[in-house]
Amino acid sequence: MSILKIQHIEKSYGKIKALKGVSFDVPEGSVFGILGPNGSGKTTLLSIILDVLKADKGDYLWFGKPGSPEIRKQIGSLLETPNFYHYLSAVNNLKITQSINERGHAADIEAVLRKVKLHERKNSRFSTYSLGMKQRLAVASALLGSPRILVLDEPTNGLDPVGIAEMRELIMELHLQGFTIIMASHLLDEVEKVCTHVAILKTGELVAYGQVDEILVDEDIIEAGAADLEKLATALTHFPGYNKIVRSGSFLHIYFNKGEAKPDEINAYCFRQGIQLYHLVHRKQRLEAKFFELTGN
Amino acid sequence: MLKILKTEWLKIRNYPAFWLVMLMTALSYPGVNLLFWYQFKEITKKELATGKMVKMLLGNPFAFPETFHTTAFFSSIFVFIPAIVVMLLITNEYTYKTNRQNIIDGWSRNAFILAKFFDVLLITLLVSLLYIVIAYIIGTLATESLASVNIWKGANYIPLFMLQTFSQLSIAFLIGFLVRKAFIALGIFVFYSIILENAAAAIAREKFYDLGRFLPLEISDRLIPVPAFIGRFDEKSYAGKIAAVDTHIVYTIVLTALVWGLVYIVNKRRDL
Repeated sequence: MSILKIQHIEKSYGKIKALKGVSFDVPEGSVFGILGPNGSGKTTLLSIILDVLKADKGDYLWFGKPGSPEIRKQIGSLLETPNFYHYLSAVNNLKITQSINERGHAADIEAVLRKVKLHERKNSRFSTYSLGMKQRLAVASALLGSPRILVLDEPTNGLDPVGIAEMRELIMELHLQGFTIIMASHLLDEVEKVCTHVAILKTGELVAYGQVDEILVDEDIIEAGAADLEKLATALTHFPGYNKIVRSGSFLHIYFNKGEAKPDEINAYCFRQGIQLYHLVHRKQRLEAKFFELTGN
Repeated sequence: MLKILKTEWLKIRNYPAFWLVMLMTALSYPGVNLLFWYQFKEITKKELATGKMVKMLLGNPFAFPETFHTTAFFSSIFVFIPAIVVMLLITNEYTYKTNRQNIIDGWSRNAFILAKFFDVLLITLLVSLLYIVIAYIIGTLATESLASVNIWKGANYIPLFMLQTFSQLSIAFLIGFLVRKAFIALGIFVFYSIILENAAAAIAREKFYDLGRFLPLEISDRLIPVPAFIGRFDEKSYAGKIAAVDTHIVYTIVLTALVWGLVYIVNKRRDL
């Protein structure tokens, strides 16, 4: 069952088309990554589904219904930068959030501040926080009252490596608890590690969408290494079924259609050709490579 | 509705600028009235013939029931002070993008504007309460025999003052809402209210059949004409101004409704 259905959404800023008829579904319980280079329309899309921006065309349905304030109250959101009252403390800012979204109880404020490790500075003014602390507060605000759906725009922005790792763990933990998480990111590694589904945007167009495993395994790659790489490359040109051979550092990458790569056969073939392989790995195409391929970067 | 009020209170109660400007209001409103009252007392207490003549000519504008009119007029000069806080409360939301966050967290766009409407209403009520207290205290001190006057006879100026304040603060809000930048909005409002409109109204009075009476702030300025003692210098003109008050009540209500209608439409349509 999809919790969010996006249908043919278009949005322009003057002459610039930010979104060109984007459609996809977000399944319940998924960690759904929205990937794209800067200016691809990720934040515009999230802004539309949160009613901050109006779509020129198309619509979206949360739980099969058009977006509404009541639905937004059930969604924990972090859009672009953390937006809080600069003269108020973390606690007082979260009181405002809670007063609007009506999620949870007063005690939950303390709990979420502990969860994001901001409890010790809970009474400091927001204006005194570092970028990372502001981001943590924004995450705390999204988590307040344990909404079953989270929309997170670049959730690791401003976090240090430890903070990024903690955020990853938190997302995985929430996923295991059955939360649905929609996150926009340009950190491919991050998406690859935590997302179950991905939609890739390029200049406002959806270029790929589906389960991460499906998107990544369009091609199988065998990474092979031998003492004489030239001889190995020449020998493999006669090996049946490959699509292309690319040199990558001290290895060769041999590309096959999905499910057609057979490392044991390659090993046996090379042995028959008098070549002994010292390195043989079956790789899936990494999201990074796929992303660059799809977005033409 | 109570939830919206509670949320706005959470925003305001720890906002230092709000309390600072309200303190400035609380000092300036009684300050200007006490200053004029002191001047009046200084002139009329003289045993010389001029003092007696002035008192005979002017009456006592600070005594009941005229105190409600006189203090309303002098207090209204300082409406730009609470206007500052009104503009800050809306421009802050845009500066820190908290208006977006309020919507994301679950308010409708209408709820956001309703919240700001309540802010303007709340400030109007606080300012009006301050005016009533000042008028009452000065009236009590300035009236020679409280038993001989109906102290609430001039109280019709209380709703007029409230309407005028609400209308003018609504215009300040509109400027903040449209401009979104605090300093630019403040600059526009102060320049327009203190210099531009006064000049335009004066020119229009002389050369354009008094069309200046339809200028946004002038419409409600005319709810509270000059105090009666000033009116005595030109009684015919003063009588005309008093007669025009009822018409300006209608103009002011229509203008204020248009202001909030425009805010509603723009807020509904524009991206946040």
